[in-house]
Amino acid sequence: MAQVDTPQFRDLATNVNSHRGDRIFNRVITGLAFSALIILAGITVFLGAQTVPVLKDQGLSFLTTTVWDSLGTPPQYGIWGMLYGSILLSVIALVIAVPASLLLSIFMVFMAPKPLAKVMTNVIDLMAAIPSVIIGLWAFYVLAPTAVGWQELMNQYLGWIPIFQNDTGNFNGTPFIAGFVLAVMMIPIITSVTREVMGRTPPELINASEALGCSMWSMLRYVALPFGRGGIIGGIMLGLGRALGETIAVFFVLKLVFDVNLFHIIQSGGGSVATLIVSKFGDASGPFETQVLLAAGFFLFAGTLIVNVIANLIVKRTGRLQS
Amino acid sequence: MSATITFNSDVLPELAQETPKAPWSRRTAGFKRAVAIAVILPALIIGALFLLTDIPGPIIMIGIYLPLQIIASVIAAISQRGTKSAGDAVIIVCAIGATLFSFVILISLLWSIVSKGLEAMSLAFLFQNNEYISPSTPLGWGGVGHAVLGTVMIVTIATLISMPIGVATALYITEVRGKAVPYVRFFVQAMSGVPSVVAGLFILTVFILTGVLQQSALTGGLAYAILMLPTVARTAEEVLRLIPDDLRTGALALGSTRARVVLKVVVPAAKTGLITAMILGIARVVGETAPLLMTSLKNDKTVLNPIMEPITALPVYIFSNVAQPYPAAVARAWGAALVLMVLVAILFTVTRILTSKRPGR
Repeated sequence: MAQVDTPQFRDLATNVNSHRGDRIFNRVITGLAFSALIILAGITVFLGAQTVPVLKDQGLSFLTTTVWDSLGTPPQYGIWGMLYGSILLSVIALVIAVPASLLLSIFMVFMAPKPLAKVMTNVIDLMAAIPSVIIGLWAFYVLAPTAVGWQELMNQYLGWIPIFQNDTGNFNGTPFIAGFVLAVMMIPIITSVTREVMGRTPPELINASEALGCSMWSMLRYVALPFGRGGIIGGIMLGLGRALGETIAVFFVLKLVFDVNLFHIIQSGGGSVATLIVSKFGDASGPFETQVLLAAGFFLFAGTLIVNVIANLIVKRTGRLQS
Repeated sequence: MSATITFNSDVLPELAQETPKAPWSRRTAGFKRAVAIAVILPALIIGALFLLTDIPGPIIMIGIYLPLQIIASVIAAISQRGTKSAGDAVIIVCAIGATLFSFVILISLLWSIVSKGLEAMSLAFLFQNNEYISPSTPLGWGGVGHAVLGTVMIVTIATLISMPIGVATALYITEVRGKAVPYVRFFVQAMSGVPSVVAGLFILTVFILTGVLQQSALTGGLAYAILMLPTVARTAEEVLRLIPDDLRTGALALGSTRARVVLKVVVPAAKTGLITAMILGIARVVGETAPLLMTSLKNDKTVLNPIMEPITALPVYIFSNVAQPYPAAVARAWGAALVLMVLVAILFTVTRILTSKRPGR
């Protein structure tokens, strides 16, 4: 209906544009509407302009090495460990958060009684609204002391698997705890998207599968999950974008080391670009170190922007297919 | 001779069976019994293990209870419904497990905020500032008054900047309907993914490193505005979309100009929804810490000047009190977290009430 009405309505609107007040109004609104583009372009240009001299000075080793020697002559900087650390933390967070949020939304959509599902939706949204600094505070004083115990057990019983090895005996500030904290922040984001996508599965399809004698498992496997696949992937990537950019919560629980911690997830020390920026910003030794941090911010911005754009395109495409 | 018809149960055993009351029901008495056994038996075993052995708790829950519960449910399902329902049993147990896991985390979070936050709570804590207070000063002196004021100032500035731009963006999509609508929406969505620390760095390079502005409530508000804009624009767009076209065409037919239709009819009709958009935007940014560490810094005094002096906001107050070796500082961090959480909860509740009242939702 709206699609039929819109063209006529728009013709009307353009005709009236001959009125002078309307022309001004339209221009102002159109100008303001492009501020999102201007800000994005501004971030790219201003942070990019700071990145060029850093890359000129440090060369490609800025991206491929792991050093932070601000007092050396010449000072040397390399953020590979931080870039890799961000990816490692995100992978840990995804491994925990994706199954949890998928199961959570399956429970809310297909199992829970309507009133309970409604309450749970509100509770999950509230969880998404908790500021990251509070989650960091909780993680530092409540989660981390408990998780040290979990990690000792993991090391004791699963230590023969390389990723659960820890020869140092120090279980504080590990990538696992930081990834777990990120998972706590990602679960509400992913769940709110997957719940909505699964809730949009056409009831005819569900009824038809039940009439054919499908169990709930087969219905999920062959109807609900394939139907919502695009939305689910998009939701996961939105959560990933959030995890890559998260700063404060990780700052409290991860011990930042300039060394690549490849896969020892329960061994102290790791990296994260966003956390690097905050932890080094306060005691930056001079304008060049600040510039280096801005360059790191540029790569963080580029990474999250790419992840987010892909996620939004996927969500949008499936939205069109469904409607 | 009595005329009562009797039958011999040996001859017709199927008639002697108890007739089911609701044969279509999927939950027969036998099914309920099997489920009850499948729930209680593993719980009893786990209870016994907890009381009688000293196997560590996490091992019992993950290594013993979860597999045991899955096996018990699968056996119960197979005995009642056949092998095809084994998958159902697994997914139900896992879904309930994931739900409980999330709720344990949420309750742990909320409980620690409330219980530890109340320790620091007092009138002095709510209204005094942090001047002359060191991390080791006992509780009872000093508080978050200046930080609450700082947050209010920064958020107000951010709202004043992002509300007009966000609403204008939404108006462009729903009212002007120009050729660039898909691109504008794309950029707004892309902007919603900008990490908060990058927003801070951007304001830092543009305004502070160039010497145009000092680190103050204004620069903090600018950084917040970048984070707030996409939320405001997207919510406002959804709200304006709900305004029926009849209102617009009606006003046009009465002879108003396009600008007047928008400003006097559409925007007033969507007033509640636009307020919701504003509050959602505020809720999105009010807890952000990273951008303020670069743009508004920290100041223990009460600051009223929004452009000349650094200023403390609540998240930064929490940030600077975490990981201090003094119990009083840590208690202050928790107290401030409680204040911030109450703020967020109020904003959250207000949006829920406003959106539930809106027709068409």
